[in-house]
Amino acid sequence: MTISIWRYSHLTLAISSSIFILLAALTGIVLAFEPISNQLKPYAVKHADALSLSKTVENLQAEYDEVIHVEKDKNNFVIASVITKDGKNETFYINPFTAKKIGDIIEKAPFFKFVTNLHRSLFLKSTGRVLVGFISFLLFLMAVTGVFLIIKRQGGVKRFFSKMIKENFNQYYHIIIGRYVLIPIVIVTLSGVYLSLEKFSLLPSEKKPHDINEELLVGTPKIKVQDFSLFKTLTLNDIQRVEFPFSDAIEDYFVLKLNDKEWLVNQYNGAIISEKKQNLVALVSSWSMLLHTGQGSIMWSVILLLTCIAILFFMFSGFAMTLNRRKNSIKIKNKFSKDAAEYIILVGSETGSTYGFAKALYKALIAEGKSVFVSELNAYSSYKKAEHLVVFTSTYGDGEPPTNAKNFEKLVGHVYQNKILKYSVVGFGSLAYKGFCKYAIVVDSLLQLHQKFIPNLSLHKINNQSFDAFKDWASSWSKNKGLNLKIEKPVNTPQPKNSKLFKVVSRSMVNSDNSFLLELELAQKLKFNSGDLFKVYPKNEQRERLYSIGKINENIVLSIKKHEFGVCSGYFSKLKKNDMVLADIKQNKDFNFPVNVKEVVMISNGTGIAPFLGMINNQDSNSVKSHLFWGGRTKDSYQIYSELIDKAFYSKKLSGLYISFSKEESQKRYVQNSIVEKSDLISRVLKSDGVIMICGSIAMQNDVLETLESISESKLNRPLNLNQIKTDCY
Amino acid sequence: MLFMLLGFKNKAETTTYKCMIQMTNYSGEGAYVIISLLNPEGKYEKTLYVQGDDDEWYSEITAWWKFQGKRRTDIDAITGATISGGGRMISVIEIENSKIDTGYKIRFETAVENQEYYKDDVEFELTSETIKNKIEGTGFIRYVRMMAQ
Repeated sequence: MTISIWRYSHLTLAISSSIFILLAALTGIVLAFEPISNQLKPYAVKHADALSLSKTVENLQAEYDEVIHVEKDKNNFVIASVITKDGKNETFYINPFTAKKIGDIIEKAPFFKFVTNLHRSLFLKSTGRVLVGFISFLLFLMAVTGVFLIIKRQGGVKRFFSKMIKENFNQYYHIIIGRYVLIPIVIVTLSGVYLSLEKFSLLPSEKKPHDINEELLVGTPKIKVQDFSLFKTLTLNDIQRVEFPFSDAIEDYFVLKLNDKEWLVNQYNGAIISEKKQNLVALVSSWSMLLHTGQGSIMWSVILLLTCIAILFFMFSGFAMTLNRRKNSIKIKNKFSKDAAEYIILVGSETGSTYGFAKALYKALIAEGKSVFVSELNAYSSYKKAEHLVVFTSTYGDGEPPTNAKNFEKLVGHVYQNKILKYSVVGFGSLAYKGFCKYAIVVDSLLQLHQKFIPNLSLHKINNQSFDAFKDWASSWSKNKGLNLKIEKPVNTPQPKNSKLFKVVSRSMVNSDNSFLLELELAQKLKFNSGDLFKVYPKNEQRERLYSIGKINENIVLSIKKHEFGVCSGYFSKLKKNDMVLADIKQNKDFNFPVNVKEVVMISNGTGIAPFLGMINNQDSNSVKSHLFWGGRTKDSYQIYSELIDKAFYSKKLSGLYISFSKEESQKRYVQNSIVEKSDLISRVLKSDGVIMICGSIAMQNDVLETLESISESKLNRPLNLNQIKTDCY
Repeated sequence: MLFMLLGFKNKAETTTYKCMIQMTNYSGEGAYVIISLLNPEGKYEKTLYVQGDDDEWYSEITAWWKFQGKRRTDIDAITGATISGGGRMISVIEIENSKIDTGYKIRFETAVENQEYYKDDVEFELTSETIKNKIEGTGFIRYVRMMAQ
């Protein structure tokens, strides 16, 4: 399948440099602690920056026999190299107010030395430094390609920082964190590259010698050093380093290194005899050094540390995503060529997951003895013998074609089709997106306008890769073709390896809606929450069944509707107390009760109430106000839930309960009707950043979302923020 | 009594010299400068000063490393950061008085990472005269000046 050039380069860069980047990030984490620990040393003297140079020199000359130089290090500690009264040469930190020694120079710990060498040259000296500089540049390119990927995904530069929908943990945080550490990464990589370049004198260097004004080399008027007016105006804040004259000879002078220039100063009268400005290369070098190492700033060091950790996370999440995509892109080996096949299946997919469905249909058709050809939308071409066309496509971003479908629109206009084809389009997408199946709609209309295509079935949309919805489409499509297809679930469902035992505590009677409650006890300890899923594999079936869990008193409560021929629900409806059930619990963090919000609205119909029964009875959720909407057919339908709901209501864990019946004599109302009536409540919750949870049928979900959207538009003048909505519908 | 004697002995026998090294305007990384004392046979006797603290590169200063690499005497106390082109450096070294006017020599070796190495950038015999002079260098060093304290 085609992948975009940006993603391709992003990935290639990552793979080719991964080991080095891993090493650099790990050593980077360690090295970030060096400047932090140095900064925490007690050698900084308060207000030293304001002390004048003349005072500092006076203090030093009074305290020592001779002064060689004074300098400020990256941590703003003052260092003096002196010859002490007993003739020893020593270098140490001083308090400039007294000129007394306050500590020995911090030695770079051998451990940090070792790690630094590993970080910058991998112990390979010059070769290593070239390599590391190059890898640093690759990381920079990754940041750049990453920016393009985000822009494309978000649908424009302006929306770079707009909210995104969390579908997948790795992907979501790869992007979220990527946006925040983008700037530090660019700084770290570019400064790293610069430092490497500098090593190899690849940068223009213009080291001009001082141009000494000979006329100023005079010993008169003789002024005491502490009386030099220049030294009086300069403070330690202006100074980086002062070198004292080597001897009494007039040719020897003070060297003053300031932040942006260097002065030579006559040692007898304090006149400036030469000035040299710092050049750009040196300036960039010193900034690169500071920015790359974090010297002198705890805050920046911490940012660098976090950046290194983020890089490790990018490696992990990036490779996890790639492996996942690999897994999803199921290769299909066509038995028939495009001109020999009667059935053509074209796929548009960004992540490759849609291929699974194409493969399922392909297999079923081959099993029926039909000739089929599967390809991607970008490979659209003429088909000599084809009679039927099926298009499976997802949508990228807000209605864009997925990468391997980008050229389809152009191709469909150019390619000449011999025969007339009957087509059907199936869109795959998520209701969480505004542009749900938008590109499938585009493909459908493109084909409709085309002379050589006649519609077969109307556009079919599938939410969250629901296999049932796909089966529905497949059965009506095959009926239409006079076929009897047996579609198998595409991905190899994991066999129930991790199954655990659960004991039946109680089961309610099956009510007039064919629904009942089942309470199960855990035979072994397991962590779970209301909203997680109970996973069962019915006998002789590959496909798992999922039920939303309500957690009450550490037990599992399921609300199950018995279907006439339902294998699973039939099995459950016959369970008796103390029977054992083999199943598993699947985490569903996206549908757990939210923390840190003020109010939660729970909306459900039918058996969708199960997770909410657990949530409203949860001890910990007292601080969150919760409101429950439920829609059922008749009053009798409500009976099996009433006890648990009353309990929550009387213990004040439930603030509001709104029930509607659709098949009752006295009222024919759906849950969305109650929502409209309570639109003030809904808008208040939306406004105060509360969360709305929806559980039940897809049809109900669609109606409810529409209702919520119109409430948001009319009361709050803004579109519904889907980040506030959590759904678990089937 | 013994301590006093030792103290006296030390003071009497060594002199502290201030030593200024003025570099030429080479480009690239900072230079490594090693100041060593050579005996009358021209063999290394003692390392007086090491300019350049990245020991990864010491082995590039081959002549000296043959001496130091084997003995690995502790040179931490007499080590300073590298000097870059055009820069000057003042260090303080101690030389025993008995080494003056007795055929001993002082050698300044220089090297820059990935550039040349000068085994005897500056080298001269230690006499009461030479030690006061300004000595021109032949490599990365422009000149060296020494002054007794």
